Amino acid sequence: MTTVLPQQKEQHGGGTYTFSSRPRAVQQRKKYRDAGQGQDSAALYGNIMYDRRIVRGNTYAQHTLPATAQPDPIEIQRQQEARRRAIARKRAKEQLRPRSPEAVEGRKHIDVQTELYLEELTDRVEEADVETQTDTFLDRPPSPLFIPAKTGKDVATQIYEGDLFDFDIEVKPILEVLVGKTIEQALLEVMEEEELANLRAQQREFEELRNAELVETQRLEEQERRHREEKERRMKQQREVLRKEKETAEKIAARAFAQSYLADLIPSVFGTLADNGYFFDPVERDVESGFMPWLMETVEKAIDKSVLGRTMVDVLIREVVAQRMESFEALQRSIQEMSGGAAPVAKPLEMEAPSFIAEAAPPPEETPAEVPSAEEAPATEGEGEGEQAEEPEGGEDEGEPAEEGGDDAPGEA
Amino acid sequence: MAKTVISQKLPPDIDPTKAPLAYGDRALPRLNRELNDKELITRQRALMTLCDYLHDPEHIAEALRVGVAESLKKLLSDKDPTVRHKTTEVLYVIATHNKGRDAFLDYGIIVPLSKLFDDSVDLARKNAHMAMEMMSEIPYGAAGVVEAQLVPKLVGKLRDELNEIKELILDTLHFCLRVETMHALVAGAMEVFTELLGHNQAIIRAKAARDIMDLSVPLDGKNKACEVKALPPLVGLLKDGDTYVRSMAAGAIATITITTQGKYLALEAGAIPHLVELVEDKNSEVRLNSLKALTTLSEAPEGRKELLNHVDLIKKRMEDESEAVVKAATIAVRVITWKP
Repeated sequence: MTTVLPQQKEQHGGGTYTFSSRPRAVQQRKKYRDAGQGQDSAALYGNIMYDRRIVRGNTYAQHTLPATAQPDPIEIQRQQEARRRAIARKRAKEQLRPRSPEAVEGRKHIDVQTELYLEELTDRVEEADVETQTDTFLDRPPSPLFIPAKTGKDVATQIYEGDLFDFDIEVKPILEVLVGKTIEQALLEVMEEEELANLRAQQREFEELRNAELVETQRLEEQERRHREEKERRMKQQREVLRKEKETAEKIAARAFAQSYLADLIPSVFGTLADNGYFFDPVERDVESGFMPWLMETVEKAIDKSVLGRTMVDVLIREVVAQRMESFEALQRSIQEMSGGAAPVAKPLEMEAPSFIAEAAPPPEETPAEVPSAEEAPATEGEGEGEQAEEPEGGEDEGEPAEEGGDDAPGEA
Repeated sequence: MAKTVISQKLPPDIDPTKAPLAYGDRALPRLNRELNDKELITRQRALMTLCDYLHDPEHIAEALRVGVAESLKKLLSDKDPTVRHKTTEVLYVIATHNKGRDAFLDYGIIVPLSKLFDDSVDLARKNAHMAMEMMSEIPYGAAGVVEAQLVPKLVGKLRDELNEIKELILDTLHFCLRVETMHALVAGAMEVFTELLGHNQAIIRAKAARDIMDLSVPLDGKNKACEVKALPPLVGLLKDGDTYVRSMAAGAIATITITTQGKYLALEAGAIPHLVELVEDKNSEVRLNSLKALTTLSEAPEGRKELLNHVDLIKKRMEDESEAVVKAATIAVRVITWKP
């Protein structure tokens, strides 16, 4: 289909793109392409492939058409200058092109064909008129099935029985694997359970035996224990019995011994007591306790009286002696005064006087129990004389006068 | 027919509830990471996959190395019930292996797990009990359970839990009682067991009788059993239809009647005729236990007197196929015919 680009009314791209293609009559054209005009005619006939307006490839180095409608005056100038330069360059090239020298005068260069076969040089394109006329309108037949043309060779192949594989034989390993795996799995599970069951059965058996043994052990233990306890008990009983017997025997022996020991206990006890004087004859006792003290007292009194008498006598003697001494001393002194010596003569007399007094002192001391009467005697010298008269009378009678004397002494005390 | 072209689409996801397993040894670390994810659905899917994956013991060992135990411990206190019940299931699977049980003790999972005994979701409780039961089957596991003071709690649960769970608790207690009986006695286990002797499910009756037997091993237990009057129901159970029940009842009677008090109580309850019947039972365990019970009963003079009538029956048992029964029968005959 021929396509025609619309005439570019505008220099720059912009506005909507329109495309139309209308039937044209074939242009009168020359046989040979013209160098200069080739571009324009090519420009009128646009091939989309060679349309500069369609972007192809990378866009980073594209000429971007200016956005504004008005072209930049600088740009226009530049383009005009570029065009002028191009023309100038072309003209320069033309001039430089070597040409054949000019014809000699009177001659003319003419192009002549020198090849073997002459070529008709005409500008006329051979044309032939052909008419065609579409048929009258017919109903459009249905489009036939598009069967693309066969390309390549036709090759046929046919698989016959037994050519490819024998299903039964080939399926066996697969089947075996499938079935085998399934059965293996099942077997594993069953074996697991069986193993468990076996273990349990074994356990049961073992437990059975163990229980039996355990019970047996415990029973024997128990039996042992009971027998032992029984034995212990019996032994204990025996021991008890023995002990009791021993005790009884000991008791009997002790009893016998005690009896024999105690047999002569009583007589000996009585004997000892009697010896120690625990048993007394009442009369004797009475005599002893009553009579004897009285007797002793009476004797004492009698002795006291005699002692008293003696003491009185001693006192008397002393007084007399003392008086005599005094008188002798006086005499002595008078003698001495007279003679002037013979002191030693007085001494023996002094010596004797103390001995009289010494004798008189002890007898009163011998009877300290009946002291009151004896001590009173030297103290009461004045009354002693009075008593002296009584004493001899008292000394003669040991009876009641002595008692009176004894009574007087305590009375005076 | 399928095309030969390799499809760009992934194969259809068969089970959208499970997380896909990464290849080879990336599987477990990735699952471990997903277990700690904030998204609920991720955690759930990871748990489902883990559950199936861990049935293989080698995987359990590897999982424990990777640190799955810690993550599971955290998940025990999750808010979502599905997560909890799946976690307990996984823990149960782990506990079926020794390595797993070791891990339980190392990471101290017993105590958090025991908190789930009070969970509202049945499955979670059931799985928790299953895991605990597995744990208690080995001696140091049972010691761990006892140390965590779980025995009184379990006894308390025994009163009002579902039947299935009661079974599991009875099993757990059975193993714990082998280690330590004081706690259970103090918590009043004997009464609960005696009550359970009248349960309508045979297996529970049997397990209760077995637990009574375990609990009566120490002297305190025997006395408690006599106090709580456990003997009449036990004697009743000797006529039970289920073999296991009969054998456990006979065993319980055997342990309780070791004490003199127990002997006389059992004689009063009329245990001897039933036990003599059981000597002829088809199951060797029943025979064994009944012979043991008869032996203990014949230690008492009254028992011996009555049993002298049945000595021949017992003598026949000396040719039994089970060696234990033969031994027990010999001992029984000896005790019965003993003169002081």
